[in-house]
Parts: sequence; C-alpha cells; structure tokens
Amino acid sequence: MTRTPPVTDEELLAYLDGVLSVEDFDHIQSRLAADPAYSATVAEWSRQTAALQALYQPVAKEQVPERLTRVIHLTEANAAMHPGVRIASGSRWQRVAAVVALLCVGTAAGWFAHAMLLAPGVAGNLASDAMQAHATYVVEVLHPVEVAASEQKQLETWLSKRLGHTIRPPDFAASGFVLMGGRVVPSDQGAAALFMYDNAQGQRITLYVAPQGASATTAFQFAKSGPIQSFYWMDRDLSYAVVGAIPRDDLRRVALAAYDQLI
Amino acid sequence: MTVLHQIEASIPALRRYAHALVRDRDRADDLVQDCLERAVANCHTWRGDGPLQAWLFRILINRHRDLQRRTPSPGHLVAVEDLRAEPSHSGSQDCHLDLREVHEAMARLPYDQREALLLVVLEGKSFDEAADMLDIPKGTLMSRLARARAALRILTGRPSNPPGLGRVPVPNRSQQS
Repeated sequence: MTRTPPVTDEELLAYLDGVLSVEDFDHIQSRLAADPAYSATVAEWSRQTAALQALYQPVAKEQVPERLTRVIHLTEANAAMHPGVRIASGSRWQRVAAVVALLCVGTAAGWFAHAMLLAPGVAGNLASDAMQAHATYVVEVLHPVEVAASEQKQLETWLSKRLGHTIRPPDFAASGFVLMGGRVVPSDQGAAALFMYDNAQGQRITLYVAPQGASATTAFQFAKSGPIQSFYWMDRDLSYAVVGAIPRDDLRRVALAAYDQLI
Repeated sequence: MTVLHQIEASIPALRRYAHALVRDRDRADDLVQDCLERAVANCHTWRGDGPLQAWLFRILINRHRDLQRRTPSPGHLVAVEDLRAEPSHSGSQDCHLDLREVHEAMARLPYDQREALLLVVLEGKSFDEAADMLDIPKGTLMSRLARARAALRILTGRPSNPPGLGRVPVPNRSQQS
C-alpha cells in the first residue's frame, strides 16, 4: 500500500493559502512531488494570485472619493443631533435632502429633542446642552474652535472672564488627546465654555463647562445619545461634561483626569 | 472606534473589492455608495456579532447580486465546463502572467466564482470567512475557487499539463495578509 492518494483541489487550495498545519503541509508537499502536474498547478495558481493582487490592490491605496466619505459624515452629524430620528428609506437624494433639512433646522429642534429625551432637571440639561454643543462643533472642519490652543493664555483669560470663574483646560495627554482650543457657547445660565481636544486618529472630544454649580459636588453621571456619550458632574460653582463618541472606558478615563485636575 | 468610524475605515477595502468585481470605476463606486448608505441606515441592526467588515461585504455582495438580477451583464460569462483550452502563448511558462490577459479573463468568469476568488485572493479572507460572507457552505466555496482557478488557467491560455515541469514552489505562508 505505497500508492499515494491523489491530491484534491481542496488540498491544493489549502496548501496554496498557507492555512495547513506544518504536518499537513509537509504531508501534502510529499504527495505533490509524486506528480509534476500538481506542482505546475500550484505554480500557476500562485501566479494567478500575484496577478490579481497586482491588478486590483492599488485601488485601496487611492484617495476615497468625497461622495463616499460624505455618506458617513452626514450620518454622523445627523445621528449626533437626532438620536431618535431614523432617516426614512427612499432614494439616495431623498435621504440626502432629509439629512440636509435636518441639519438646517438642527440647532433648535435638536435642542428640544434632547431636552425631551433626557431625564428632566438641571443635570439632564447639562448633559443635553453639552452633547448638543459637541455635535454642533466637532463636525466643523474650518472653525472647530474660536481661539486655538496656541493662544492658551488668551483662551483661559477670555473664558474665565465670561464664566466668572477661573478656568483652565485640563491636560488629557495621558489619554492621547491634545487641546485644540475653545469657544464660548450659550447655555440657560449664561455663557458656557467648550474646549475641544483631538487625538492622533483625528477623534474629537469636548469638555463643556457651564456656570451653574450644585450645593455639593455630585457624582459622575452618564448619558448617551446615539453614538455620543457623556460623563458629567457638578461642583459648587460649575458644571462639567466630557463628551465624545469614543469607547465608554476611554471617555471615563478622560473624565476622571478632568475631575482630578479641575477640583 | 464608533461603528461609523469602522465603516469609514472599511471603504478602501470595499472599493478594491467592488472595482475588481464590477470592473468599471463609476459603477463600482456607485455600488460602494449604495452599500454604505444601507450600512449607515441599518447600523443599529448590526449587533456586533462578528467583524463589522464581514457585515459590510455581505451587504455589498447582496446589493451586487440584486443589481445583477435586475440588469444582467452581457453574456460572456461561461461555465468552465464549456471552455476549451485556448492556444498556448509562446513563453507561457513565464513567471508572470500578462495582467491585461488576467483582467480580460476575470470578465469571463461567472460572478459566483469571481466573488469567491476575489474574497480569498484579494481580500485575504480565510475559507471560512469567505464562505460565511457568501452565505454558502465551505465545500461550495472550495469548488467555486477550484473552478475559478481552472477557468482562469484556460482563459489565459496556459494548458494544464505543460511539458517541462519545475519543482513545487513553496508558497509563502505570510503572503495572504
């Protein structure tokens, strides 16, 4: 019984794909040697693989057309502002039009949507306002912040004056986020501050600081609205919310760093 | 990374696969756009029970099949059983295949074979992953792969029992990254 069983196509494919165990690999290789036609087939198949990769791989290195990334970015902006709204199915243009319309009425309608969706009360408003501010400004390409981190002193002076409390943006370098800058945003209690940070992957998070405190420092609370999540808390003078569409544990780490540095 | 970011990160691979499958830049990008729109509209239904990219490829493949059913492409798709070896080119034992010839040959493969071959060869999917994405048993996938490779071999005019055989090349195990 020394006759070698024929090698099946399946075995040849697995051999070529390099998915066999060392033992099977050696076993098949010894059987391949029994018939030169096998080696010709394997050689030909690997040439096919090389040719197909040479032909089609380069497409993945090309710049992605803007019309494709736009699908993602419009949805992202929309989801951030309208967590409860699902875009109706329809033609592409109907859907794009729907998104654009929502973006246009976004600021006002979105605010009310959030206010209704989230728990009532000051803390609920805090998270809602912070997420709304986040959604409004993180999508900005040209003017995400009003005063850049390069002018941090000026930024601190300006925001401290507007909030009526000394405020310094905390450092999140340990989590990979670097200050981009900040701006003043409106809130029920008057001017609030929004600091924006980004990481090497271009992900953006914000720290929202509003001029209303609680009688005592509150514990962390968590809110979520679509992909956007927030940890928020209050101290005697101010309320804070860290907001981002990053994994919850990462966001919690950033929030803890903020808490430690702001206290 | 959020689901949307993961979808965005998959766009280059989706384009590569779509371009190889459809062979027309605009139609391929239309297909990818269609796939992305479906994905973002349905990403709340993705339960995270497997790689997101596999889900996206499944959407793309199904979308392509729908479009094919609606507007079948001109009939040069031939089953390998109906093919006869074309005359061998001189120097057909070269180390490299003529890329233009391979591109032409791919156009003549039935879509089910093209889908399978490109998932494994171009996208580096394992046999199990590819079978799962195509929603077929692994045995069916293997037979499609074998038929695709045999057909390509005939279509590029390289007979299956050539004289003058070399040694068995040892495939590079890390090749399919």
